[in-house]
Amino acid sequence: ALPNQQTVDYPSFKLVIVGDGGTGKTTFVKRHLTGEFEKKYEPTIGVEVHPLDFFTNCGKLRFYCWDTAGQEKFGGLRDGYYIHGQCAIIMFDVTARLTYKNVPTWHRDLCRVCENIPIVLCGNKVDVKNRQVKAKQVTFHRKKNLQYYEISAKSNYNFEKPFLYLARKLAGDANLHFVESPALAPPEVHIDLAAQQQHEAELAAAASQPLPDDDDDTFE
Amino acid sequence: MASTDPEHRDVEETAAGEDEDTGAQVAPIVKLEEVAVTTGEEDEDTVLDLKSKLYRFDKDGNQWKERGAGNVKLLKHKETGKVRLVMRQSKTLKICANHLVLPTMSVQEHAGNDKSCVWHATDFADGELKDELFCIRFGSVENCKIFMEMFQEVAESQQKKEKNEDASAAAGLLEKLNVEDKKAEDKDNEEVPVAAAKEKESESEPGKVDAEKKGEEPAPST
Repeated sequence: ALPNQQTVDYPSFKLVIVGDGGTGKTTFVKRHLTGEFEKKYEPTIGVEVHPLDFFTNCGKLRFYCWDTAGQEKFGGLRDGYYIHGQCAIIMFDVTARLTYKNVPTWHRDLCRVCENIPIVLCGNKVDVKNRQVKAKQVTFHRKKNLQYYEISAKSNYNFEKPFLYLARKLAGDANLHFVESPALAPPEVHIDLAAQQQHEAELAAAASQPLPDDDDDTFE
Repeated sequence: MASTDPEHRDVEETAAGEDEDTGAQVAPIVKLEEVAVTTGEEDEDTVLDLKSKLYRFDKDGNQWKERGAGNVKLLKHKETGKVRLVMRQSKTLKICANHLVLPTMSVQEHAGNDKSCVWHATDFADGELKDELFCIRFGSVENCKIFMEMFQEVAESQQKKEKNEDASAAAGLLEKLNVEDKKAEDKDNEEVPVAAAKEKESESEPGKVDAEKKGEEPAPST
């Protein structure tokens, strides 16, 4: 963890996320953090570290996600971010062939710093109709002993699998699984009339705004 | 048609082999013991459980943002009768909404979409109270209608409950006054009835303790 980040009394792991710019690393992390799906592309500068907690049958776990810049010009410390990485995700975009071609470079750089850590290769954006990299064409993981998942940060397809796989490997427990996080009783709240009127006005305004994915009728 | 679509076939093939572990043998770095799992929902009955997608309103960006997709539940506490809305993200089972349904709340239609509706709540999903505007979308118009009706019904029933509680609290107060009156009267008489009145007073104690407990109960066990 970073010096200014609070430590926790349950197991935590440093997870390094690498891959070409625009493959969806930040969107994937954000999806897990807040549930939102960010369509806008804003390149990551250097690195952004986010703690991400999961509840398992073996207790709570935390991944410190080191979401690194994919674009070379915003690379920052590069390999410097990989130090003490305990697990990793290499992301590519199945709709952009070059991002898959660059996977070996990301893998080599990562393995120079982090030896023998569990690594998941993720082919993102599988919801897009026109793929450039078909599932059958993805073979790198077999040569280098990585786990591969086809994912979609947009549709949430397999979105939990990379974390589940890494947690199982780090704990050496193939039966580890996610469980319900405890839903604590919400404290009693008292809303005064003025606040209530303000909420109603805000709600009326919000009710006229469309949903971001109104066109999409399927969800899990 | 779908089976001749190459993209679709690809997805199917991957789906078949997706549990295959091609990863390297790496030594585990932690040893974890199985722990008891508590959902926090053990003392509640599920009065509604529907598949849905939840959104929260981002005031700064003036737009709805996805919060999670999974099952939304209305849970009624077996003892207090309080009802809360709890929703978990599917697969990760993390909480994306957790708030009481209060009589001051009302669920409203979402303009231009009859499968979704909106409401305001003070949400406790992240373990701290936050004002949120929520929008929820269902797979069908019918499910949205069921949700809205149930939500409204619950909110109204909580109002009645509150009124009843007020009434019983007032009744309790009156009773206490009566006891004190009696006590005052008794003071002029012999000592024995005083003791009886005191006994009566202590009899009403358990009720008082219950009420106090009730007030404390919603506090989070952080």
